[in-house]
Amino acid sequence: MASREAERGGAGGQDVLRRAGDASVLILTSLAGGAKHGYALIKDVKSFSGVELGPGTLYGALDRLEQLGLVEALPAEDRRHPYRITPAGVTALRVHLDAIERVRVAGRLRLGLEGI
Amino acid sequence: MAGPGSERLVQAALRCYPERWRSRHGEEAAELARLLMRDGTAAHSIAWSYVKGAASTRLALRSRRRLRAVVGGLVAAACSVGLSLALLSSSAPASAVTGPCSGGARGAGMGARGHVPYGHHYLTGGAGRSSASVRVTTKKPANSDALSGHDQHC
Repeated sequence: MASREAERGGAGGQDVLRRAGDASVLILTSLAGGAKHGYALIKDVKSFSGVELGPGTLYGALDRLEQLGLVEALPAEDRRHPYRITPAGVTALRVHLDAIERVRVAGRLRLGLEGI
Repeated sequence: MAGPGSERLVQAALRCYPERWRSRHGEEAAELARLLMRDGTAAHSIAWSYVKGAASTRLALRSRRRLRAVVGGLVAAACSVGLSLALLSSSAPASAVTGPCSGGARGAGMGARGHVPYGHHYLTGGAGRSSASVRVTTKKPANSDALSGHDQHC
């Protein structure tokens, strides 16, 4: 039931990040802590998730997120564009994390790791 | 760590991206590669990531262009059909095109209900499109009032 609700995106709106890929979620999570440029994003994502994003993956995900209106590029500083999460990005990340949370709870319950 | 060979490898990989992408991200991507190589990331790994990213970007661009072409074609076809129908309904009397029992052409600028003139040509594809001409060869009935009588029965 929880996973079905997760597929629908829950009551908070449609989960636009469901098909956006893991890199997009990691980037949005990183940008939720403040605006960053590419190098800082790669380092931050590695520090909280252990995933080392390739630079090609990073720019592909940033382009996708920008097209979706979930992040925006700030004016360049020293040849580097910092990116910032938009209000729509905050909402999308919250909806996606809620969906993941429901799946996590259902999974742990069925594995007998919680509620006993 | 980042020798000229490594820089050249990364530059070659960046050239795989479309021109528009390079004008926007090119310098920043090269700078990012330099920083990553300074941290010890292998140049071939960075270059491979950029090659994969370039392929993905080009594929996305191509599918977007294809989608635009398909949508454009459908819109053009719809406009063409609509124009043909508009010309058809404005150039032919309602009774010649739709038949006396059909109300399809009524209300499309053809309020007058006249009889089909005997032995006339009607262009169904609009002016200048004679390939679809229809020759109406109704014979004048012995009692011409019979036709209007039939029309009234519909």
